[in-house]
Amino acid sequence: MRRLETRWGILMALPAILGFLIFTIGPMAASAFFSLTDWQIGASPSYIGLDNYAAMVGDELFWKSLSTTTYYTLGAVPLVLIVSFAVAMLLNQKVRGLSIWRTIFYLPTLVPAIANVVLWIWIFNPDFGLLNSLLRQGGLPGSQWIYAESTAVPSLIIMSTWGFGNTMVIFLAGLQGVPRHLYEAVSIDGGGAWRRFWHVTLPMMTPTIFYNLVVGVVGTFQVFNQAYVMTEGGPNHATLFYVYYLFRKAFTESEMGYASALAWTLFMIIMVVTFLLFRNARRWVYYEMAGAR
Amino acid sequence: MRRRDLLKIGGLAALGAAATACGGGSGSGSDVRLQFMYWGSTFEKKAVESMLEQYEQKNPGVSVKPLYTPDEYDVKLNTLVASNRLPDVGYVPLAMSFRLGEQGKLVNLFPYLKEYPQLAGYLPDAYLWSGQDNLHGVATANEIELLWFSRSAVAQAGVTPPAEAGSAWTWDQLVENAYKLTVDQNGRRPDESGFDPKQVKQFGVSSSITYGAAWYGFLRSNGVDFADETGERCLLDTPEAIEVFQNLQDLVYEHRVAPGPGQLAATGNDVPGTNILLKTKRVAMVVDGHWSLLDMNESKVDYGIGVLPKYAEPFTATQVAGASAVFAGSEHEQEAVELFAFHNDPRYVDLFEQGLWMPQEKKYYEDQAAIDSWTKNDLHPPEFRTAVVDYAREHGVPVFGNRVKNMTTIASDVLTPALQEIETGKRPAGEILKAAAPKITSMLQGWQHTQEL
Repeated sequence: MRRLETRWGILMALPAILGFLIFTIGPMAASAFFSLTDWQIGASPSYIGLDNYAAMVGDELFWKSLSTTTYYTLGAVPLVLIVSFAVAMLLNQKVRGLSIWRTIFYLPTLVPAIANVVLWIWIFNPDFGLLNSLLRQGGLPGSQWIYAESTAVPSLIIMSTWGFGNTMVIFLAGLQGVPRHLYEAVSIDGGGAWRRFWHVTLPMMTPTIFYNLVVGVVGTFQVFNQAYVMTEGGPNHATLFYVYYLFRKAFTESEMGYASALAWTLFMIIMVVTFLLFRNARRWVYYEMAGAR
Repeated sequence: MRRRDLLKIGGLAALGAAATACGGGSGSGSDVRLQFMYWGSTFEKKAVESMLEQYEQKNPGVSVKPLYTPDEYDVKLNTLVASNRLPDVGYVPLAMSFRLGEQGKLVNLFPYLKEYPQLAGYLPDAYLWSGQDNLHGVATANEIELLWFSRSAVAQAGVTPPAEAGSAWTWDQLVENAYKLTVDQNGRRPDESGFDPKQVKQFGVSSSITYGAAWYGFLRSNGVDFADETGERCLLDTPEAIEVFQNLQDLVYEHRVAPGPGQLAATGNDVPGTNILLKTKRVAMVVDGHWSLLDMNESKVDYGIGVLPKYAEPFTATQVAGASAVFAGSEHEQEAVELFAFHNDPRYVDLFEQGLWMPQEKKYYEDQAAIDSWTKNDLHPPEFRTAVVDYAREHGVPVFGNRVKNMTTIASDVLTPALQEIETGKRPAGEILKAAAPKITSMLQGWQHTQEL
């Protein structure tokens, strides 16, 4: 009976298992191999050992794309965390029409990625875009936004807050899990809103913050759409994000071997960063049930 | 009665099926299925589809499936190469065609030239060689850069762009006339006080800084090339080249008669077509390729054609097109080459009369009857003869992008970013080019192979 169940269980899970093997593990293994070859699309791959990885050290654009992506991550992740946390706090209040507010704030997340990008191209338009029109009405000088080197990445960081809905929902769920008796205890001791936030909400929310931080960092390191659709990595490589550079090497310049090596390097970088985040987490993430473990 | 009809139909169907089955097995006149992959505007799509239909009518038994691929052509074609599922005939981005030619992914057309004499009479610059006697393709059509303008806009300002190379404007004349054609929302010109460069209603001129074909004619006219004769030293840091790019930058930031980055973009990042820019009078004069003619006519623009401004001798970039090639490994190479010879032959294809393409055969620029065959119609304005046919023949220089090795990487890694920086106007052109040229030099690998037939 048990064996029968096991067999059925595996059979039912097979589509997922096969999908994972064929479409994830397979290509990963293949790219790991190709990263050790010199392979131009159309020619056959020839084994060159770690030469691709060595070439990266001297590749100016590799470093440029890495630093651009890091810049973007350092800007976008904290900003999204702060904004979505703040909005989640607001939406956790007892106000009228709460579900409507929650829907409104979540709505932008449902806009398809490319539609979203096209919308923002208009928002950033230096002549008749939304942002410059507003600034001009307020008597302020406009900006070139994504069309100037110095403002291109900051513009995209601002844009990243647009899709904070998912992070916000997770925060909201976390907020609702904060035990009510802790707030009552603070109130009894005469603590106000600030103390309730600082001594109860924030510590109790650290696991949720940590989760969103890790997911956010992993996601933003792979930022691509904006560079692909809005800026094509420009102007002057200002938005040359890592994955966009990888894509260009692979499909425009046809250097599949080098592109595979770039992909694996990014994988390692993300793994190391995640590992460091986890190690660091012990210092500031508070698990209420830690003692029970 | 009904049942008998049904039987009849059934019998016919069976017969039909049998006939097809037989046909499939026999040799000549059998079902040959080819795929033709191409890009282009929706108007071009229509025109190419009708060309393919004509080919099918002339060649019973051959069917051609059009693979219309308007965006990311290089990405998609690369994917097809990697997965070994190439079409039979099609467009190939020019720089990429050299790589595929060297890899043997394109049929060498050299041996076929005797069989198809029309292919042997091309303009010499049309042929694409990836090595001695390896003719991997041709530039699909001859395309040159021109100065398009809105007739009503120039008439209003009392400006007449010259349609003959002999009377081409100097750069200063271009600037002067562009001033007359630039107006802000309050009707002020750039040289009038209170002009608002953020609220320009009509720009005088638009000439791309990032698109090589647009400025290559200026570069050559100023006596310099992209690289020296060896093709191993980049000349963009010479005073002549710097002058050309500084002038282009000045159009935007000094004279304020041309749009800066992002200013023409509408909803997407793509600048609307030249036909739209002229029709809406967003811009009065635009430097763009001859291929715009089709869209101009289709969208009924009140346009005129002029020659580009000059520095010394007037020049314009020619062969500004993609390549056409036959892909290797086709089951029907003979038929594929046949389709290739057909697909841009002015005798069969109306894309020349329609205004999308200029012929590649020399006679269409030299022989009066041949010239008339594609230009004497309502879709080609009277000035076409001097502004395009004569201009291309006498003052054309093949665009460097097709001639320089390793151009794809040079363009995406160094050249385009540098040009974008010039376009953003933060630093003068000279500073940027002096930094970029040595980097380009280090990536240059010489000019592509060329040879006489």
